[in-house]
Order: sequence, then structure tokens, then C-alpha cells
Amino acid sequence: MKKLTMTLSLLLSFSAFADVAVIVHPSNNSTLDEKAIARIFTGKMKTFPDGSQIIPVNLAAGNAVTQEFNTKALNRSESQLKAYWSKLVFTGKGTPPQEVGSAEEAIKLVASNPNTISFVDASKVTGDVKVALKL
Amino acid sequence: MKFKTTLTMVCVLLTSANVLADVKFTGFASINAGKVLSGDGVPQYDVPPTFLADYPIVSTYSKEWSFREESLFGIQISADLTEKLTLTGQIVSRGADDFKAKIEWAFLSYEINDNWTFQAGKKRLPLFYYSDFYDVGFAYTWMRPPADTYTWQVFNYNGANVMYTGNLGDWSLSTNVYMGSEESTDNRLLSQFFFLEPTTEIWKDIFGAVANVSNEWLEIRLTGMTYTNERTRSGIPVTWGGKEERDGTFLGLAVNVTYDNAFVLTELNQLELDDDGTLDSLMVSVGYNFDGFIPFIAYSELEQTGNYLDGSVIPDGENHNTFSVGFRYDFHASAAFKMQYDKVEDNSFEYAVAGDSSALTFGVDLVF
Repeated sequence: MKKLTMTLSLLLSFSAFADVAVIVHPSNNSTLDEKAIARIFTGKMKTFPDGSQIIPVNLAAGNAVTQEFNTKALNRSESQLKAYWSKLVFTGKGTPPQEVGSAEEAIKLVASNPNTISFVDASKVTGDVKVALKL
Repeated sequence: MKFKTTLTMVCVLLTSANVLADVKFTGFASINAGKVLSGDGVPQYDVPPTFLADYPIVSTYSKEWSFREESLFGIQISADLTEKLTLTGQIVSRGADDFKAKIEWAFLSYEINDNWTFQAGKKRLPLFYYSDFYDVGFAYTWMRPPADTYTWQVFNYNGANVMYTGNLGDWSLSTNVYMGSEESTDNRLLSQFFFLEPTTEIWKDIFGAVANVSNEWLEIRLTGMTYTNERTRSGIPVTWGGKEERDGTFLGLAVNVTYDNAFVLTELNQLELDDDGTLDSLMVSVGYNFDGFIPFIAYSELEQTGNYLDGSVIPDGENHNTFSVGFRYDFHASAAFKMQYDKVEDNSFEYAVAGDSSALTFGVDLVF
């Protein structure tokens, strides 16, 4: 119960102030709207408008920013997202994005690979990456 | 023997793959229980009060509580042999099968490019919308896809398929074309439920196609398949109209609508099978997601009409329907609790399956 209350208060506080920044490599000039972001992170869009391959990178499930992103961009709860990926994984039709543990790792990865796209708490963004969209 | 060879092959490939490849283990499980609350059974065929929850696996609930009929554990091993070549194996252990572990899937997948994928091996036959993830209860809302619709005795095949995925504006398009065959020795449904003698069911020259288009709120799936059926009962070939084989044609349409938290799921299927006339099935389900608590109702039916090969009318074909009400509760990101009440009406005398029944089932579905 205590845990639930803590989770709830965390969720509430996050929805109160956390903006999620979708980040790409500084050289990436793609214009991406919310629909495109949703398609990328559900495995439906595999190339950027310029034709280069997309490698989406998730923050770990359970992370408050991930939950915020799932709700805002994908319009799905973590559980619904797991159900969605289960359907693809166990039928050989797709694999979910790889996960990293922290915003720092996400930024490091995106800064070093022009094909990647990830999301972090907007307050954690550094000059090494470009913000493609704020949610 | 065939199974052993496949197992050995998969092991050898996985072991050698292990050294140089990225091997992923994922899995799913369902722990389900249930019982018949009331039922007539089929007195003329000595069937006691029964709820047949799953036709091909023959998950049958009786008036005693049972935890094994629909409980299962599955492990998927996926090895990326190269960037484009993946070997996938799925081992499933079912309560209805005394928890014997069996390889249900074993296939190679080659990603030709972002749009096209070629696969070959042992796979699930993608007849119905939920066929190929039927075992993964976590991926859908009910305890199981409606039984009247998911009645076909063959659910795997060995063969090859080509998949395409792409976009058309805001629409996602995916297609799958497959061909292959399946020999099901001691087919569970036919041997244990219908003919009560060892029955081998062969589906050969399977050729099918699936097309799926979807956007944010609407999904439409169209499918068609043809095959040739051969069957032996206690080693003796069955004949239909004097021939040892017959043809079947399957057609299906599924339309799913999700609007905010409400959803409507539908499926309409038809099988035309020589000497068995036409078998029409449909299911419709409505539900609403209250932040992880998802109540639903569902109705499904199957009706057999048409003619035998000698031209005479099938007077009293297979005819059953189910009304279901239940809920799914996502109590954890990877686990859901479900409970469902089913009321089955079996209207045929000659082709009675399990008789009228009402049953309560519940359980937990997990993925890991």
C-alpha cells in the first residue's frame, strides 16, 4: 500500500512538471510529429524521412519518464505496451526497442549513433543531442 | 522421431549459435483454473457435462475444479545468427498434455530488407486473427479466443512464408503468404473427442495469404487458405465420396475498432470442406478499459450447413454458440488476472460436440 501511494505520488508529481524530450543525433534533420514518434516506438516506422535506418532506444520500463512517454506518445499503459509487443515477439514478427537504464546512457548512445532515437526527461538534455520533439 | 530430430537440430543450432550470436530468452505462462457450473453433456455419445474451452488442445473442464486444462508455460529462444538471420524456437508445456514440453515453433527468419522477411520451419498456422499468439494469454483480453471460432484441429504447419510490412500514409500494411503441410499423428481433437480412435490428420498443399491494414483506431484483417485433407482412423484411410482426399477453402475477415478506452473486436470465418458443406463462424466482443480493469462481453457461434458429396443436405450439422462475460485486470505490468463466465449452447444432435454448459474459469497470464 505504501509502495502504491509512493508510486502514485511520483506519477502525480511527474505529470505535474516533467516534459519528455525526444532526442536524436545533432546531424539528424528529420521533422517528426507525435504520430511518427508513436510509429517509430511501436516498430511500424523503420526509416527516417531521408531513408536512413531508425534504431529506437527505450528508457527502462518502470522509469517514470518511460511511463510518461508511453502515455503521451504511445497512448498506452506499460501493460498494454507489453501485450502489444508480446503479440509480435511470440509470433516472430518484431522485437521491442532495446532498453537503457538512464538518461545519461540514452544521451551517450544517441550522441554517438546518427541512426538512434530516444527520449529523456527534458531537464536532462545536453548539447550532445538534438531535441526532435517535446511531449 | 520427427520431434526428436527437430529438437536435436534446434539444440545443435542454438549451441553453435550461442558461441557467436546474441541469444534472447523470453517467455509466457498461464495458470488457469475452472469448472463446469451446470451442463448436459452429450448422452448419446457418453460425454459427461463438459466445457470444451479449447478445441485443438482439447482443454475440457468438468464439474470438478481443474488447474491443468488451460495452464501452460512457454519459453522462446531467439538467436541472431547474423544481423539479418534469426533462429527462433518456442517450447510449450501444457497442462492438458500432462505438462510434456513440446516444440511448437522452430523457424529461421531472414530479413531481406526493412519491408520483406522470409521465414521457414515449423510455425503456427495463421488462420484466425489470434491463431499465432493463441498461447500468449497476456496478449489478449479474454481467458481464450472464443472457442466456437477457434475449432480447427490442425494449428501448426511446416513450410515457408514471406511477410511484407510497410506504410501507406497513416495506414500500416502487413501481408503474409505461406505454404506448407502438416501431419498430425494422433490428432488430439479427432482422436480423443470425435472418433475415439487413433486418428492421423494430414493437411497438405496448404497455401494461404493474410493481409492486415490498420491505423490508430481501426484494424482490418483479410485471409484465405486452401488445403487438401487426408485422414486415417486406426490406420485405415477415410474416404469422402469414394476418394482418399478432399479439398477445403477457408476465408476470414476480422475488424477491430479501438476508440479511446472502448473496443469492439469481430471475426467472421467460413470453411468450405468437401463432404462437410460450409462451416460459418463469427465472434463479436465489446469491452472497455478502465485504467487496467477491462470488463468485456463476447458472443461466438459456429454453424454447419450445405450438402454432403452425394448431394444430400446435411440435416443436423455442427451448431453451437457461446455467450461470455468477464474481465481482465492488469495488476502488474507483466501480469494480468482474468475471470470469465461462459454459457454454451450446443444445438445439434448428430454433430453435438460437448453439449450445453455453463462454466467459470479464472487465472493469471504472465510474460517475461
